Amino acid sequence: MSARRFDAGRAGYFALNGAIVTFLLAPIAIVAVFAVNPTPYISFPPVGVTLRWFEKFFSSEDFMNALWLSLQVAVAVLVLSMLIGAACALALARGNLPGARVLTAFFMSPLMLPAILTGLALFQIYLLAGIGRPVWGLIMGHTLVAVPYVLRTTLAVLHNFDRRIEEAAAILGASPVRIFFEVTLPLIRPGVVAGGIFAFIVSFDQFPISLFLVLPKGETLPVVLFNYMKFDLDGAIAAASMVSIVMAISVVLLLEKLIGLKAYVKL
Amino acid sequence: MASTADTAPLLAALPAPPRARVSPVAWLVGPALLLFVVFFVLPFGAMALLSFLSGNPASNPNVYFTTRHYERLVGDSLYVEALVATLRIGFVTTIVSLLVGYPLAHWMARMHSRLGHAALLMAVIAPMLTGIVVRTFAWMTLLQDRGVINTTLMAWGWTDQPVKLMYNEFGTIVALVHIYVPFMVLTLTGVIGRIDERLEQAARSLGAGRLRAFYEVTLPLSLPGIMAGSLLVFALSISAYVTPFLMGGTDVLTLPMLIYQQVSSSFNLGFAGALGVVLLAVSLIVVIAYNHVLGRFAGAEKMA
Repeated sequence: MSARRFDAGRAGYFALNGAIVTFLLAPIAIVAVFAVNPTPYISFPPVGVTLRWFEKFFSSEDFMNALWLSLQVAVAVLVLSMLIGAACALALARGNLPGARVLTAFFMSPLMLPAILTGLALFQIYLLAGIGRPVWGLIMGHTLVAVPYVLRTTLAVLHNFDRRIEEAAAILGASPVRIFFEVTLPLIRPGVVAGGIFAFIVSFDQFPISLFLVLPKGETLPVVLFNYMKFDLDGAIAAASMVSIVMAISVVLLLEKLIGLKAYVKL
Repeated sequence: MASTADTAPLLAALPAPPRARVSPVAWLVGPALLLFVVFFVLPFGAMALLSFLSGNPASNPNVYFTTRHYERLVGDSLYVEALVATLRIGFVTTIVSLLVGYPLAHWMARMHSRLGHAALLMAVIAPMLTGIVVRTFAWMTLLQDRGVINTTLMAWGWTDQPVKLMYNEFGTIVALVHIYVPFMVLTLTGVIGRIDERLEQAARSLGAGRLRAFYEVTLPLSLPGIMAGSLLVFALSISAYVTPFLMGGTDVLTLPMLIYQQVSSSFNLGFAGALGVVLLAVSLIVVIAYNHVLGRFAGAEKMA
């Protein structure tokens, strides 16, 4: 491309896209401003810098219990969805299952069906079964919506998998079990781990399912934040939000390093 | 040296016979199938069942089948209006997301710099991975009466009193677009990226202007992406709860809000189930259309 004279169409194109990127990022950035602004309610422009909201967040028993519960649930969901999702991906890609395409669409469907209905339906069946609202029930609900992420990233890796490597190992005398642990597993690991990271953040941020399945005083962080925001909008919410934002940014950087975001988006 | 077992992988390398045998690996689908049957299919079945029952069979032995929940739903204009409002908000959110998402997706798909592409991708995915509650909070700080936008407008003397930007459908839709536009961008980027750039260049070398080349070449070829992205955003936005609740105030009442209300304040599980079945029916139609579009797109890809 050569340097050219001013081109209105081109300038408009970039201005429009600049505005769209600002629309995407500015709301996230503004939260950081309110997290350190000392006024007792949300007000603009900021008048100073304080850490009192972070202090309030990290010293509040309600917030900390919720954060701790959310992290525990997210770790459980990470492990479960990695195991279930990776096994399922192997079966779908390698099992010669009849109707594998329909099955894949079925396993992906929790992503598109209203999560609030998944919450309602689980709430109703737990009630019918008379088991109340146990934490493991919440974990299973989260796992259900997290498995599709692991399935997607693992299937993508399996799709690009050169099976001749496994055949080479077999020719050299490796047993099927050894081939699985020494060849297949290391090769699909990036996809499974990337899916697991998605599963963790999906669970940590999950709201509609949790809304139905948490007990009073045993709520996850997003539910506690939502209930707080119904009555009060102050810097403590902004500080709590920063936790979620920092986590999202770390996950994005981690994924980029691990498998490349581009590989993920191509699916 | 080679036993029969060892030659099996070699045989697998040969072109597969038309009907390949189901391999033992297929059993690995078991745990996922179990999870989905117990925690997905059965619960939705329970929801549908309860919507036709007069009460909760676990606590009341005298329940009977009834269609009264559906009659109530159709008979009361409040519920019909909520359904219409839900679909309207979903529809407007989808159109706006398409208008906002398309230029960005086009830019991203045509970006040759690796670094620029990665940076843009992060700018799209980072908001997507931030919680819905957090993003709705961000929009509340921007749009409320003493929020960033109104304070700025008043400080510049553009308006004397705050403009009503939230606690209505406008604010709801703005926040919903922000929340769901990444899905539109990612779907579109994939499709636009697969359109051969040289087609557009050929059109231009034949004398078409940049706009005309876009309208007559790129836009029609990206139609499957537009369809898939739109269906995805529509399916997601009609099931939103947090954003309409917090941004809509008393002005907005959608199906998901009604559903939670029925459970939390009225504890009417049957009626909540009936509302759920209606929302599920709408979503299923959208999901089936989405899979159909993707399936046809994948088919066209294979032929090319």
